[in-house]
Amino acid sequence: MNEFVEQFLIECRELVEQATDDLLTLEGQPDDKDRLDSAFRAFHTLKGAAGIVDFDAMGRALHAAEDVLSDVRAGREPVTPQLISNGLTCLDQVVQWLDAMEVDGEIPPGADAAADAIVRRFDGDGQPAAPPPAPSTGQNWIQALLDRHGPATLALRYAPDPDAFFRGEDPLALLAGLPNLIAVEILNAGDLPPLAELDPFRCHLVLGALTAGDAASAAAMLESVMERVEIVAIGRETAPNLPHSASALLEAQLMLLAEPAAEGLAGRLAAAGRASGNVLRHLGRTAEAARLDAIAAGALAALDPSALATAIRTVSRGPLEGPEAPVADALPAEAAARTLRVDVERIDALVNLTGELLVAKNALGHAAALAAEGAPVAELASQLKAQQAVLGRLVDELQRSVLSIRVLPMRYVFQRFPRLVREMMAALGKPAQLVTEGDETEADKVIVESLFEPLLHVLRNALDHGVESPTARAAAGKPASAVIRLAASRQGEHVVIEVSDDGGGVDVDRVRAVAQQRGVASGEALEAMDEQDIVDLIFAPGFSTSTQVTSLSGRGVGMDAVRAAVERLGGRVRIDSRRGAGTTIRFDLPFAVMMSRVLTVEAGGQMFGIPLESVVETVRVDRERMAPIGAARAFVLRNRTIPVIDLAQALGAREQRKPAGPASIVVASAGGQLGGLEVDRLGERLDVMLKPMEGLLSGMPGVAGTTLLGDGRVLIVLDLQAVLQ
Amino acid sequence: MSVRVGQGGQVQLVGVCGVEDAEALLRHLLVDPGVSVDWRQCDAAHTAVVQVIACAGVTPVGPPRGRILIDVVELLLKQR
Repeated sequence: MNEFVEQFLIECRELVEQATDDLLTLEGQPDDKDRLDSAFRAFHTLKGAAGIVDFDAMGRALHAAEDVLSDVRAGREPVTPQLISNGLTCLDQVVQWLDAMEVDGEIPPGADAAADAIVRRFDGDGQPAAPPPAPSTGQNWIQALLDRHGPATLALRYAPDPDAFFRGEDPLALLAGLPNLIAVEILNAGDLPPLAELDPFRCHLVLGALTAGDAASAAAMLESVMERVEIVAIGRETAPNLPHSASALLEAQLMLLAEPAAEGLAGRLAAAGRASGNVLRHLGRTAEAARLDAIAAGALAALDPSALATAIRTVSRGPLEGPEAPVADALPAEAAARTLRVDVERIDALVNLTGELLVAKNALGHAAALAAEGAPVAELASQLKAQQAVLGRLVDELQRSVLSIRVLPMRYVFQRFPRLVREMMAALGKPAQLVTEGDETEADKVIVESLFEPLLHVLRNALDHGVESPTARAAAGKPASAVIRLAASRQGEHVVIEVSDDGGGVDVDRVRAVAQQRGVASGEALEAMDEQDIVDLIFAPGFSTSTQVTSLSGRGVGMDAVRAAVERLGGRVRIDSRRGAGTTIRFDLPFAVMMSRVLTVEAGGQMFGIPLESVVETVRVDRERMAPIGAARAFVLRNRTIPVIDLAQALGAREQRKPAGPASIVVASAGGQLGGLEVDRLGERLDVMLKPMEGLLSGMPGVAGTTLLGDGRVLIVLDLQAVLQ
Repeated sequence: MSVRVGQGGQVQLVGVCGVEDAEALLRHLLVDPGVSVDWRQCDAAHTAVVQVIACAGVTPVGPPRGRILIDVVELLLKQR
């Protein structure tokens, strides 16, 4: 991709974010002139950018949006929900185009048709005669329908005219006549008027339907009401008729990936990726096969099967978007920001530091010259000591400055949520307001970028399970619209992110029942647990069997995945639930991912680092107090049984004679479980700059990274979760 | 008359329920919000009638007689 296009993509994404933010604010505050101007400017600049790269279709779509905004600025048009929806749809389309261009740098084929659709949307906007159809809910309703009714080739959304009944129309009968109909649903079930306020002669329903037929015959069927119908083709190429053998093969790969064991994960990843790619090639879907290969390679490098599993599911169902969006779901997920906008002040600080370092270097040169001249040792020593102090201070400062360049404000991830929450809200039929706080709180780039998926999942849960239905809220005396708070704050070396809702809190009895039913914990264990322990079970692997597919988080991603994601970043998750009053999920994250505090230990004659955040305590235990249990051993610590693993053995070292006397045990917590690691000797605590494993060693299980010790030795820092499993 | 009150007090939908039956059904449901709606003898129901049932949040006693009601509408009401 040439630099020109790269720059275009970066700028456009920023402008889209700005415009989205402005539009969403305008929806709540239609009189905000500044936001209106800002939105107009963003659309205008986007249009200009499209012109520079000769992307005419994009220019055309944006021009239509710009025209309408210009009318609003001139006071000729009001800000309507319809207008905001159209604007957001236009931006969505732009993002899809950008995603497609990110892949190969080419202007996506089919962009003209998509641009026409956008222009049509805006053209229809000027007629206030009929009340606008319910705001488009993005694609979430399609996902929801597919989840419940399985694969289809066509999704329809039909918002009948409120006066449809007067005109003798029968919307349901119309949909029921669609060829190859799979299911019909009421999409706005949560928004229907209460019976007492219902006007039975007006149609309040928004209907959704899935069919296995083609778009042309559906459009012909619905011709009389076409302006109120949205038809979305699901999948293309062979997707709808994936041969049974092919889907069985893909299904088998998914099962392979779903195996929980960490052993052989790399092999399974490689095999599943190769087999799925071959299935696609066999079907002639070569472009998608190539993309899948790339995703498989990424998954292999990260030893994380989730992206690959999502991609396989996506291809087995067919790309969700129209033909102009090639597997857009799977690709951009891994597109972390490769460019960083840095405040000039921070660069200046670095330049200044470099100057000071030069001075310190010269001072060292002076000391060296003194040593060569045979200056007295005492004088030399004092000079060197002073200079070492100066260097130490400078290096510390340099490190801080460099780390501060890698920070991003939470705004970077937070600003994507208002839009998504708005869509989820519409799909779930639960009115809610998302309040964000601490957008400017900074954290390491890696952390901020990795937070999107887990936060999205938590927000979705809050809306889906936390917030009650409008009727239940009314019964509980709460305002109909729920408030979901997303807040970030800096607390010392930690960044704390909280998602709280004012819903009903976790239903402890239901969690207990589900946990027992799914075998997460035995009946006796559940009996012994207090309420907080039960609530914590939602993080347990296997608790969530959600079959909800979101285009962003994939299927079956439960809270255990959220916890795993946060722990991978060196953080912890906590849940706080009050019955009837709401739930708060709290992420405690380190500020910088590169700096880690480790405890050094010696095992099998080698030194290892253990991340200090997983260490609960260190104890010395008499060997006779350790009881053999099966192949392992355990001891009792304050009435809790702690299983003990011999670290050297776990890492594959030869059996060695243990030193006499009590054993040194590091009690650590990983994945919510306590475990003990027997080591030969406990060392010291160090602040280290952790370097991830690269190249051949990058997939090594059980190793979080390495760092250099003061004496030049390499310290291997362990990934306790993998070691304890 | 395709909306009538049965012997047990339940509201029965019978035959083909047209758009005009929506109001009658709504009246019954407003008078007695907990009343059960029996559509086992219903061959077809206009969207307006289905809308009243959806807004009332009741699950009709079924299965209905009409094919479309079984294939489409019953499922739709269950999904709420």
